[in-house]
Amino acid sequence: MPYSIAFQDHFSNPRNVGELDDATHTAEETNPVCGDRLRLSLRLADNRIVAARFLAYGCPPTLACGSVLTEMIEGKTVEEAFLITRNDIINAIGKLPSRKSHAAALAFEALRAALQAK
Amino acid sequence: MTALRKRVYMDHSATTPVDGRVVEAMLPFLTQKFGNASSVHTFGQEARAAVDKARREVAALIGARHSEIVFTSGGTEANNLALRGIAETAAPFGRHLITSAIEHPAVSEVCDYLERRQGWAVTRLPVYEEGIVRVEDLRAVLRDDTTLISVMLANNEIGTLQPVAEIGEFVSHLRASGRRHLWFHTDAVQAAGRMEVDVEKLGCDLLSLSAHKLYAPKGTGALYVRRGVRLAPQTFGGRQERERRTGTESVANIVAFGRAAQLACEELEARINVMKTLLARFEAGVTARIEDVVFNGDRARRLPHLSNISFRFIEAEGLLINLDLQGVAVSTGSACSSGSLEPSPVIRALGRNEELARGSIRFSLGKDTSEEDVDYVLEVLPRAVQSLRNLSPLYQKALTERACNLEAQTLTSI
Repeated sequence: MPYSIAFQDHFSNPRNVGELDDATHTAEETNPVCGDRLRLSLRLADNRIVAARFLAYGCPPTLACGSVLTEMIEGKTVEEAFLITRNDIINAIGKLPSRKSHAAALAFEALRAALQAK
Repeated sequence: MTALRKRVYMDHSATTPVDGRVVEAMLPFLTQKFGNASSVHTFGQEARAAVDKARREVAALIGARHSEIVFTSGGTEANNLALRGIAETAAPFGRHLITSAIEHPAVSEVCDYLERRQGWAVTRLPVYEEGIVRVEDLRAVLRDDTTLISVMLANNEIGTLQPVAEIGEFVSHLRASGRRHLWFHTDAVQAAGRMEVDVEKLGCDLLSLSAHKLYAPKGTGALYVRRGVRLAPQTFGGRQERERRTGTESVANIVAFGRAAQLACEELEARINVMKTLLARFEAGVTARIEDVVFNGDRARRLPHLSNISFRFIEAEGLLINLDLQGVAVSTGSACSSGSLEPSPVIRALGRNEELARGSIRFSLGKDTSEEDVDYVLEVLPRAVQSLRNLSPLYQKALTERACNLEAQTLTSI
């Protein structure tokens, strides 16, 4: 198994699965090459992410990155969330094989899109 | 925690464990009887005798003569030798070959090479939803310059049986009517040991085998070459295998292959019965416990040990890893291409959409698979599928749509 303990944990027990009924911001991003999808819904209050949920379709790294991303952003201000990079997501999941780094990119794009969405 | 976990291997189409009886047969040829089969002394003679015995055993598995068996390094080399060796012999008489759209890469990529680099025209027969080529299609695409046909006996991803005996009959009709330069190869790597394979009934000129699908070690295979077929060698530097495949024989591995072939002959019927019964139990369990599944490939004309299933709304790799974390080994499509992001070309060839192609998993049982193994997978699999579906935006969307449809139906029925 080339995946880290953190990866296996998020993959086996994904956090914050689903969709928020009272989301203020949502986005669904698709990787045009492999077709992986990540749907992110956020509730913002006072410029802070108070809740985050995700749905994902695709390879295991996409699922794990979705899960770890929701954990990373809950409680952060919008400005703090904008500072999160692809590498931060990869580090949080404990490294990805390079051919799977597109999974972190998808999570990153979904976060950006959601924060900018109405 | 991992040490106590139950492990179930359901990937016998990728490879099989080596049978203890096979290990026992081969071991002396690694230590005491280690001679080079080409040596003149007693050590060499012992090795030669063992290789000859194994050759007869492998020949018996497929109803061939021992002189028609060429040992190779495996199924891939057997397929390469067959196609490239015949292509070289046949090229002066015509450069058109017919194959199927679902061959293993060891065949399809040789065809691609011949097409790109050697000036061959290649026709790939479609397989339709059932995953089986049609002989009438082959008749229709046959050309005057067709010199080579290669169609597998059973597919490695979906297990469907191809009409090889009918193609063989067609080829022999053509020969009877005076056509001399046409050769017929079949890849029987997945079929051998899982169904009766008889080169006379199949009417093929060349047939590929692999030892490690038969409970022998990896690294050995064989090519059956019908007597009288001239095959241009692809390796030089020795006289081994009647100069059709040179290089020092891997004696211990060949002995193992022979013993495994002998056991496969003796136990074939019993193995088929065990696998068929367990596969039926498995498939009934899947059907009863999991919704939105699609079985790929013809349900009747197929190998007894393999089930290829598409699980809607999820991607197979996630399911594979989820099952692996619970000790269950399966594969997504061909093991050779599982590192790529491309959906299985075999499943696509059935006309399945991308979602179904990406969600397909191959379960393949073996002679030693138990009822307990099947039941464990049936316990783990529905949960794994459901947990991935809970994550899937495609599944959530489908649920919403179904709820709407149900509501609409309820309203109209009032």
